[in-house]
Amino acid sequence: MRLLEHESKRILEKYRIALPVGRLVGQGEPLTIDGPVMLKAQIPIGGRGKAGGILAATQAEEARQKVSHLLKSNIRGYIPKAVYMEEKKAVKQEFFMGITYDTVAKAPVAIFSAEGGVDIEELAQRKPALVRKEHFTVHSRLPLHRAREIVAEAGVSGKLLLGLSVALATIAEVFLDYDATVVEVNPLALMDDGRLVALDCHLEIDDDAVPRHADIAAMEKDTGRVEGERRMSDFERLAFNIDNLDHRGVAGRVIEFDGNLGLIIGGGGASLTAFDAIRAHGGRPANYCEVGGNPSVLKVKELTRLILSKPGVDKIAVIMNVVSNTRVDMMARGIVKGILESGKNPAQTVAVFRVPGAWEEEGHKILSKYGVPIQDRTVSIDEAARIAVTNTH
Amino acid sequence: MSSPSEFIVVEVDMAACAGLARCGGCVRVCPVSIFQKSGDKPAVVEKNLDECILCERCLQSCGPEAITIRKLYEA
Repeated sequence: MRLLEHESKRILEKYRIALPVGRLVGQGEPLTIDGPVMLKAQIPIGGRGKAGGILAATQAEEARQKVSHLLKSNIRGYIPKAVYMEEKKAVKQEFFMGITYDTVAKAPVAIFSAEGGVDIEELAQRKPALVRKEHFTVHSRLPLHRAREIVAEAGVSGKLLLGLSVALATIAEVFLDYDATVVEVNPLALMDDGRLVALDCHLEIDDDAVPRHADIAAMEKDTGRVEGERRMSDFERLAFNIDNLDHRGVAGRVIEFDGNLGLIIGGGGASLTAFDAIRAHGGRPANYCEVGGNPSVLKVKELTRLILSKPGVDKIAVIMNVVSNTRVDMMARGIVKGILESGKNPAQTVAVFRVPGAWEEEGHKILSKYGVPIQDRTVSIDEAARIAVTNTH
Repeated sequence: MSSPSEFIVVEVDMAACAGLARCGGCVRVCPVSIFQKSGDKPAVVEKNLDECILCERCLQSCGPEAITIRKLYEA
């Protein structure tokens, strides 16, 4: 879950990281300003400046007009619900600091650069020597002395070294305490008055950890905080609720389409592969979804019922990659039961069942009883998609 | 006692069951809560039967071998 800038900054504030003076402003609100301000659309994307989501103003009337403009703008598919207005002060130097998770090293990594306010990936490619990276562990965290080494190796010394090291160690604390996947402060600015101030913050929390944090969970439940071009349909909301029935596995992340072939697909990128293959063979998916991690029979059953409840959807294709962490027999139970509870015949409803892997033999016994043909791992996902499309016409 | 389900039937022979005071292994070990306490005896939770993962830990924990599991999809 990506937090909005002002939400991220409230968390930084708790950790005593200095911020510009700022507040949220809404449409038509009378504004008084003491000097130049930055007006920042509160939308969950990067590169807001380039996309026209950040504007400067020096007068109150100008600020009011620009706030009004931002709140009506469609910025890369998002319509801001609020604008964050911050004081604009002279900046002496900008730094980059961030913590993320290195999935190759399987450890958190601290990233620091004395050149802030830039695209860090682009800088790392162009001038890799300017970007300092250091792994640490969840157990040892990022102690101040290691943060100081990282900042010092980037060529910073003196009083600035101390301030930046504290800031880096602190955002590592935020990262770990909040089960974040990304904390990025870019830029962290050295102001003319010598303060180090976080001008922007990008904070993403691991979706699966949101329930562990009451403040974040409350934000997630606030359906009015972000408005995209596309809103969750009732069908998708019902699927979301099904996925939340219990903690076991995933049987959700559903996107509704207007086709006639229901999809229960998953297995890493296999769901995308299967979806594309269905379309490539001329099929019209009624939905996209992601199933994996051994969901409960209840969740698979409810998802099956939901998909089959869509008008015009009489067939479902069940396609997954070779599964090791999802049991084929539990999938088969959920599919069969969902079809039966929908008042349909499994043999006539399953357009294809191609889920090879753990407990495959047991799954095949269940499907055989209900007359559902089974495709094993010798049948590719593409071929399974072709079979599904053929059986749907 | 019998528990109807689409896929799995779990039966507990109450005459053979040692009771929860002396045993209670099935209630303790089932990872998907197929068994619950009912007085001094275990009761099968029918709504959870579909989730039985066939681990057979209940069978192993039951001294008097009072539990049987049947798969309805096998001939």
